[in-house]
Amino acid sequence: MRIKVKVNGVWYERDVEPRKLLVHFLRDDLGIKSVRVGCDTGNCGACTVLLDGKPVKSCNLLAVQADGSEIITADYSDELMERLKRAFHERHALQCGFCTSGMLLASYALLKNKPKPTEEEIREGISGVLCRCTGYQNIVEAIKSAAL
Amino acid sequence: MRYVGKPLPRLEDYHLLYGQARYVDDIELPGMLYAGFVRSPYAHARVRRVDASEALSMPGVVAVFTPQSGKPFDFAPGGKVRYQGEAVAMVVAVDRYALYDALEKVYVDYEPLPAVVDPVKAMEPGAPLVDESLGTNVSRREKYASGDAERALASSDKVVEEELVTNRVVPSAMEPHGVLASHDGKTLLIYDSTQKPHIVRREVARSLDVPLAAVRVIQPDVGGGFGSKIQVYPEEVRVAAAAMALRRPVKWIATRSEDFKMTTYGRGLMLRYKAGFTRDGVLKAIKGEVIADAGAYDWFGFDLAATAATMLPAAYKVRDLDIDAVSVLTNKPPLGPYRGAGRPEATFFIERIMDLIADETGLDPVEVRRRNLVPAGPYDNPLGLHYDSGEYLATFERGIAATGYYDLVRNAEAEKARGRVLGVGMSFYIEITTYGHEVAIVRAERDGSFTVAVGIAPHGQGDATGIAQLVADELQVPIERVRVVWGDTDAVPDGIGTDGSRSITAGGSAALLAARRLLEELKKAAEELLGGPATYSDGTFKSGDKSVTIGEVVEAVYRGKVRAQLEAMEVYKARATFPYGVGVVVVELDPETGLARPLLYRSYDDIGVVVNPLLVEGQIHGGALQGISQVLYEQVVYDQDGNLATPNFAFYHVPKATEAPRYEPRLAETPHRSDHPTGTKGVGEAPTVASAAAAIKALEDAIRRATGKRVRLRSTPVTPEEVYRLIHG
Repeated sequence: MRIKVKVNGVWYERDVEPRKLLVHFLRDDLGIKSVRVGCDTGNCGACTVLLDGKPVKSCNLLAVQADGSEIITADYSDELMERLKRAFHERHALQCGFCTSGMLLASYALLKNKPKPTEEEIREGISGVLCRCTGYQNIVEAIKSAAL
Repeated sequence: MRYVGKPLPRLEDYHLLYGQARYVDDIELPGMLYAGFVRSPYAHARVRRVDASEALSMPGVVAVFTPQSGKPFDFAPGGKVRYQGEAVAMVVAVDRYALYDALEKVYVDYEPLPAVVDPVKAMEPGAPLVDESLGTNVSRREKYASGDAERALASSDKVVEEELVTNRVVPSAMEPHGVLASHDGKTLLIYDSTQKPHIVRREVARSLDVPLAAVRVIQPDVGGGFGSKIQVYPEEVRVAAAAMALRRPVKWIATRSEDFKMTTYGRGLMLRYKAGFTRDGVLKAIKGEVIADAGAYDWFGFDLAATAATMLPAAYKVRDLDIDAVSVLTNKPPLGPYRGAGRPEATFFIERIMDLIADETGLDPVEVRRRNLVPAGPYDNPLGLHYDSGEYLATFERGIAATGYYDLVRNAEAEKARGRVLGVGMSFYIEITTYGHEVAIVRAERDGSFTVAVGIAPHGQGDATGIAQLVADELQVPIERVRVVWGDTDAVPDGIGTDGSRSITAGGSAALLAARRLLEELKKAAEELLGGPATYSDGTFKSGDKSVTIGEVVEAVYRGKVRAQLEAMEVYKARATFPYGVGVVVVELDPETGLARPLLYRSYDDIGVVVNPLLVEGQIHGGALQGISQVLYEQVVYDQDGNLATPNFAFYHVPKATEAPRYEPRLAETPHRSDHPTGTKGVGEAPTVASAAAAIKALEDAIRRATGKRVRLRSTPVTPEEVYRLIHG
């Protein structure tokens, strides 16, 4: 099937097998490797992208379901994303880095909707992404500092 | 310009944040094929026949390797599979989708056999044998003893007999296992998600009978390991063998469900024991056995049992001990190291015993530990371990004060009056880190900058930043002029890798000593250039009123003006060192549901010299959650036939941000140096060692506060159902 998607501001048109997962389309067909596969049940959130502004798990969607949509990945750059990346670096909010793309996108979506979230809202906002390294506190602190 | 001790943000972050990370699955090579494994649905079965003919006729399928393919494809050794998920065949195809279609079309004729799941039952006569050639499921048993435990038990005021269990857990690195191998006719190149590239290199060379020089292993970015990427798995060797056989690059990336079937599991130890103590709360003796649920192959089960057995006395004065370390085969995936590997288990056991003594004598848990602690090191533990340095008693007292333990207990009492149930638990730990040799090379570049290549293989810990700090200080140059490279066997010829909290201590010491030696070489060259004895500081050699910069010296050597070595390699032999400290956990319990949530982790750790407090903090946060989570969340379940009922993250619970506590770690103000050049002791595992024992006590404390009943929790995890029953049953 032929689909058209806008990824990080650029339109792409590609033929895809109907059964291809969105995450494989992004990684293998478009070469956007920052979207990661950490599980096959939608639980880990490493594959999180923003689909029309909403955080979704790209391993739980088919590429064809994204036809006509706008997708943002962690490679997207704007003022908010840069602020988040800087805060993650300064607050030591990443270790192995595998969950980081998902974390950045979950926090990006959160701050877009709620520029000044409470700590509880931050934890809730990133609860769809698992991190095994950081224990989360520094991620929460980074998001807090990026929100200011 | 002194970097050691400063909370420098990591030099590793940029590429991880800016879409330039390269985990194995991000790497593509021309002509690359995808490999996958057919895995047994049975925990124990004879493999009668593998039929790959239909799979081989599927579009996109390149090859299928079966037990008939010979080494290293010797799946199902002895003609049977020994755990659910053990590989029986390997399929190679042109893409992922073709691969997964074909994996379902390999037919295996199994004859199911009775499985043995429980290690205690596995020791009973008549139990099904996992490995018939042994004639027993006990794969190894060794005694660790000192003094006279029987006599000490007989003369104790009180003797308690019971079992303590640390259940199996899944290390759960967020990146699953994966490997990509290619062969260009000269070099076998392997990208591997591993904690030990040099060990992979040696294992692959040995298994495939190729010279070490012809194998290059690159550890790309690795999405966590926690011990699960220490073992060289048969899959890693088989992917390399397939790449050689097919003359094309071959990649295998485990799915998460596959990862749960083949990764090494952690913990899985039990202590069956008798302990004797006085009515004054002094521990007199322990007699018992540490039993490891080793799984189908004893890769690491015995090592874990032995480590837990020898660390069991911790820094307590007890000297009458009689502990058997036993590893038992069961029809489960092999047991392996997981963050702390034997030390969290030993600490869990001995701290449960200290809490038991407190309960039985009516003494305060702090007082019990005070009465039993060895005042200070160095101390020879009765089972043969030499604790290098520390003030165990004084640091414990300071830790109790620094963590505000009694304030937390008082606060829990006050909250109870307001209808909120909190529990507070505390543990003292001592653990062993650092072993083996480590290798580093420091090379001088023509402009006076330096490249440091290390054999340690960090994968999230930030050790490259720590090593840059150490080397920049040693060479007295700005840190921007030091680049650390790792994870490439071409960059440094040997090393052990990253595990056992040893990277900064062993790898850092190697780098520091190599830098020191290089500087001595450059000093000789500088003196030749300056025509007299020189002093060195901040990048400049001075002799009388003449001076030359370090870059100018290197340039002079490269131009052949003077002779000097421009690269120094250090093979550093490390000895064990022993960090120790106090961990405190506060949990909140909902008595209506039995659900407990961790609220706070506080710690006071003496980890020796601190190279980078930011990195230390990161290790403590994440490590503490892993220990707490073992108590509250993570449950591996097998049915009696050895079917894994928790085969992925939908069933196996890794805590989310909403389920994590606040962390408030403090480090000892007057740390005790190790005798390594870095003075460090390591911190990667310490918080995990401390936190599980503290968390289970916190839960006990909360249940007591909710009900007035004194309960005794003996195994992890403690599920909400179990807590509910304890409260309401």
